[in-house]
Amino acid sequence: MRHNLKQAAYDYGMIFVLLLLGIIFSFTTIKEQTPDDAAAGRKMGKTLKKEVVLIVTRDSEQHRTFAEALRASLSANGNEILNILQGEPRDVRKVLVAMENDPGAKRPTVIAGPHATMNWDLFNKGYFNSHFSSLDGVKFVKPATYTWPTFLTRQNLVNVATQIVVISIIAIGMTMVIITGGIDLSVGSLIALSASIAAAIIHNAAGNGPSTEVATTVVVGACAVGILASGCFGFFSGAVTACFKVPSFIVTLAVMMMVRGYAFKSVGGEAKGSLPDAFTTLGHGDWMGIPISVVLMAVLYYIAWFVMTQTIFGRNVYALGGNAEAARLSGVPTKRITITVFTICGLLAGLGGIVLASELASGDPKTGTFYELYVIAAVVVGGTSLMGGQGKILGTLIGAFIIGVIRNGMNLNGVDPFNQMIVFGWIILLAVLAEKGKELMVSGGRSPFAVLGGLFASRKRGEHMETGHGENE
Amino acid sequence: MIAFSKMNSNNPFFEVIAEGMRDEAKKYGYEVKVVSGEADVAKQKDQIKDFIVQKVAAIVLNPVDSASIGPAIKEANEAGIPVFTCDLQCTDESAKVTAHIATDNYQGGKLAGEAMIEALGENGGEIAILTHDPAASCIDRVAGFDEVIKAYNAGRETGKITAVKRLPCEGQRDPGFKATEDIITAHGNLAGIFAINDPGALGAYAALEKHGKAGQVKIIGFDGQPDGLQAIKDGKIYADPIQFPEKMGRQTITAISKYLAGEEVDPIQLIPAELYRQADGAKDPSLN
Repeated sequence: MRHNLKQAAYDYGMIFVLLLLGIIFSFTTIKEQTPDDAAAGRKMGKTLKKEVVLIVTRDSEQHRTFAEALRASLSANGNEILNILQGEPRDVRKVLVAMENDPGAKRPTVIAGPHATMNWDLFNKGYFNSHFSSLDGVKFVKPATYTWPTFLTRQNLVNVATQIVVISIIAIGMTMVIITGGIDLSVGSLIALSASIAAAIIHNAAGNGPSTEVATTVVVGACAVGILASGCFGFFSGAVTACFKVPSFIVTLAVMMMVRGYAFKSVGGEAKGSLPDAFTTLGHGDWMGIPISVVLMAVLYYIAWFVMTQTIFGRNVYALGGNAEAARLSGVPTKRITITVFTICGLLAGLGGIVLASELASGDPKTGTFYELYVIAAVVVGGTSLMGGQGKILGTLIGAFIIGVIRNGMNLNGVDPFNQMIVFGWIILLAVLAEKGKELMVSGGRSPFAVLGGLFASRKRGEHMETGHGENE
Repeated sequence: MIAFSKMNSNNPFFEVIAEGMRDEAKKYGYEVKVVSGEADVAKQKDQIKDFIVQKVAAIVLNPVDSASIGPAIKEANEAGIPVFTCDLQCTDESAKVTAHIATDNYQGGKLAGEAMIEALGENGGEIAILTHDPAASCIDRVAGFDEVIKAYNAGRETGKITAVKRLPCEGQRDPGFKATEDIITAHGNLAGIFAINDPGALGAYAALEKHGKAGQVKIIGFDGQPDGLQAIKDGKIYADPIQFPEKMGRQTITAISKYLAGEEVDPIQLIPAELYRQADGAKDPSLN
């Protein structure tokens, strides 16, 4: 039992880092929340009695639900609804001006709405009274506030998940590549390639007609071609790496550059926007309240987990990264495995590109720059060793979440861009060091002090090895 | 709270816009929160989503990509949060932008053309243009420039000004430097360069200096950033149509306050550029 716990901590220790970050950002984003949902509307309606109420909200789905709940609750509590205004400040102002100029018009005793509208400058007491003197004495009512971390609101957590989908999908392929001891720098360009190709095909199919009305089958086909194109380049990188024994770092660096060029060529250098709804569903649609892209991510992680832990292919991937020569001698088809993992990585980068293009509703050859670095960061933070042979698919998902949470947390706290870069770098470094320390602690079962000593000792051993190396030469 | 996602954090121009906004916002008691899109449209999209979660009163953007930022703006539209663009425009027509506040880039481009004519005098000559087509504002600048040069050349037998080369400079020093090296290698008689912003112009100057052509080729920049103005004072750049980023920031806040009070807001507000020459640099107390 104890051993199992240790093993779990060893495998998925980064989850504690993720929780810690979650707790920190929960504390730092605690603030007065201004509810504007149906429950807030109902609650607010009960606080008023025998008033003539003018309801003012923004023109949004959320606010329509709020206004409807408020209206029902106000009526049930014996209030009269004068009007429900949904729109921008100037729409509301027009109604108020008309009221001001018409002495016979019925006047509200209360103007009620969510904080978003009641905080308009229009409803600033001084401004309001100086412009609408006939409405002097009207009360402004908004929902009661409560204190809660913005980080822990449902919408924000959904945001965090959707914001890491692209990185985490590609990180599956990258984890496999890194476990075999390779690396793929071309994924950022492959994102742009599949996005651009899919958008270009849709625009071609549209001809002179509107690109938003292209048939769904064409859209699906265009996405498939984009993903396959990226997969082909993955296959190419894998084949060159395996057959010519060139380091994948160099091969994929070259592929990264040429693919970026192909991406620009495929759309003639410009982002292609105005894509059909069938295309944007992936990035904007919901399934039982969960974004489709997040569902896709979860399914892919389940499959990847299964492949890596329950199949011979998965074992071969680990074997190849652990010791390529030993793997080859014991009958592992090393070339085929290398080519397969790079192809998978290419295909997933292509899929990531389609998801990104779907979110942006445009195929943009400029997108995806630096994504390779974020993806590699997610994999490494998730506990996969760049030396190969070690790593966990679910660790990578945690790594991606850590990166997403850091980014989101800093945005919510309004950390300025320069500090964001500094903090980001430090957190990645510390996360990896923490992982390293924990590794030593689990393997040796020692106290943290002993681990520090161990880190120091391993550094010394490194020095010895260097001297030894020098003697050989 | 007003949220602003600026273009990037390596061009001080956008920070000056932010400063103008912060300062003006104090008058109205608004809080301004500034983040940077770092020229990555996916990143800026995520920032807009974060703004929506925070229920900000208004969103201000320097769209990092004129077309691809559309869907994110639409999400803000659906949440009923007004979006204002500043300096750079959104070209996605299905996305609703309450007001756009920017320099009159076309008029600024014309000023640049006039400055080029003035710099070259009666001799005219071959010129090159350092462009940055991903930004609609830079396309406008070149269009204004071209129009003035075309009108000048019309009906003229000698002393024409001919644009022999147009190369992208990405609005940055390093690509501007490399593009200029290639241009002067191909065109030894070059008499002038128009760069669509100061970093591009300063990159061009560095290349000219390296190849000993700094005296021969006159540079017209754009923007009026501190190091650009200094270069004008030192005679490295002939002149700049200058923009007023601080004013742009202030005017954006004024537009937001008008919007929130329900007053009419002009949907497109252009601030004219002004030409800045060496003589202006000599009088400028901000330079040394």
